[in-house]
Amino acid sequence: MRRLRRFRKPVRMFFILVVGVFLASPLLYLVSGSLMSSAQLTQFPPAFFPSSIHWSNFTAAWDYLHLRAGVNSIIFTVVTVALQWSLCVSGGFVLAKMHFRAARRVVALLGLSLFVPTITTLVPTFVVTDKLHLINTYPGLILPIVAQTGFGTLLFRQYIVSLPTELVDAARVDGAKWMLILRRVIIPLALPATGAYAAISVLTAWNMYLWPLVAATKPSVSVLTESLAPLAETQYGGVIPESVAFAATLITTLPMIVAFLAAQKTFIRGIQGSGVE
Amino acid sequence: MHGKRAERRWANRDRGAAWAILAPNLTLFSIFIIVPVLLAVAISFTNWDLASAPHFVGLANYRRMLSDPMVGQSIETTFFFLLMGVVPTVVIALLFALLVNVRVPFIAAMRTLYFIPAVVSFAASSVLWQWIYRPGDGILDYLLRLFGVNGPAWLSSTSTALPALDIVSIWLSLPVATLLYLAALQRIPEQVIEASILDGAGAFRRLRYIIWPGVRNMTLLVAIVDILAFTNGSFDLVNIMTQGGPINATTTLIYYIYYVAFSNIQLGYAAALSVMQLFLFVALLSVVSLLVKLVNR
Repeated sequence: MRRLRRFRKPVRMFFILVVGVFLASPLLYLVSGSLMSSAQLTQFPPAFFPSSIHWSNFTAAWDYLHLRAGVNSIIFTVVTVALQWSLCVSGGFVLAKMHFRAARRVVALLGLSLFVPTITTLVPTFVVTDKLHLINTYPGLILPIVAQTGFGTLLFRQYIVSLPTELVDAARVDGAKWMLILRRVIIPLALPATGAYAAISVLTAWNMYLWPLVAATKPSVSVLTESLAPLAETQYGGVIPESVAFAATLITTLPMIVAFLAAQKTFIRGIQGSGVE
Repeated sequence: MHGKRAERRWANRDRGAAWAILAPNLTLFSIFIIVPVLLAVAISFTNWDLASAPHFVGLANYRRMLSDPMVGQSIETTFFFLLMGVVPTVVIALLFALLVNVRVPFIAAMRTLYFIPAVVSFAASSVLWQWIYRPGDGILDYLLRLFGVNGPAWLSSTSTALPALDIVSIWLSLPVATLLYLAALQRIPEQVIEASILDGAGAFRRLRYIIWPGVRNMTLLVAIVDILAFTNGSFDLVNIMTQGGPINATTTLIYYIYYVAFSNIQLGYAAALSVMQLFLFVALLSVVSLLVKLVNR
């Protein structure tokens, strides 16, 4: 019995590793395929590792994706998250620490919005944006997504509630203004919540497809996911070689993989924190 | 009487500042969330092609649903997509969380392998998986053949297209579900589990009496998170990988609504379908939470 126990941990580790590699294998295949020649990627039986490294796939992929789409993706992600963050952290502060009777109803309303499927509001949101003459403009792409403040506001509220009320009260006695309390006291203390929020919303914005697809159809405002989508049809005579399509897919995914590896704890806290709601 | 009013005023003392700070947040929220929900109901009573003015048709759009065979079919497709996707995700995620909830060397690095698909977009997954699924000489069929299995035509067969999309969606959803379960498992004190092992409790009894009570509340959350993720995500996958085909086999309700709105430009009918979808969705969530509560009793 005791002898069996000695082996239990290594066996478990081996098993964890095998399952883990299996789960990550599509991504490993993506990396491997993006470095192959097109001929090697399409050969049969399939190759698992590149026989020679073809960096040229990445320059060709970059040409296909267009610099503009990359810039648009960055603008969309950064501006959306920055604007929404300022609305959410201030809103969360109000709902956590300020005394006003409608607070509970506002919380309920924001919570309810989390359960409305995207498609329910898609057509009317498009109509509203169209009536404001914002289709195919940055504000039209960004503002309707910024407006989805339910998740972030509740996340910040949850976190700020747990901060000691005395911090706010002391500032109030001093006659400090609310916005000053928010900037000097709450935001610095709520930094972990900001990290969690940023991880989730950067990921959501960067990967977003449906809203850009209807609201940003012109190349001047369209984003990377829109450039990527047509590549999924290449099996029927593609626009670009498959290994280049792999490279393009890797290029659009890499920023998020790097961000995840660099800030894994923050991402995990964000995902787990979003579940606590 | 006087005291009560003063108390009320005290509880409401920050009202002005509160609304002022909330104003930008709630204004945007109203314009792009609340107004659209109400507008969806209003548009659903009209015929509208965006080019001309909408005209009121009463309940005609709702009556049309009854005679539209695509409605029943797309609801059924959505139901099976959710069933074949969410149930495996919940079960496998719990198993994975149990597997990696252990203190061994390199566990953090090995867990990364489980979590990394969470950052991949539906669009990127679609490009990758359509290649993996390539019938005949694709890598998946090749690997299956090594095990003596003749792979199906995946995305180009009506019977396997929907399960194939489910597999991609499960792959994308497992990390979050596993993380949520892991958070629940880590709240169970290690001593309790060790004590049960020393008491000679078998793996099954341990699961039933120690693990399950610790994670059952999380199960409802995981189920709801995944129902939302699969409902919303199904659009991206279907639109990019199959466009609803072959022969409508993957036309989920969300994709059908998009098709009616942006290909047929029938905004009124699309709005009516979205209103119906919202009701179905709320009903589904209620049934699921009721089921989980029943199981938990």
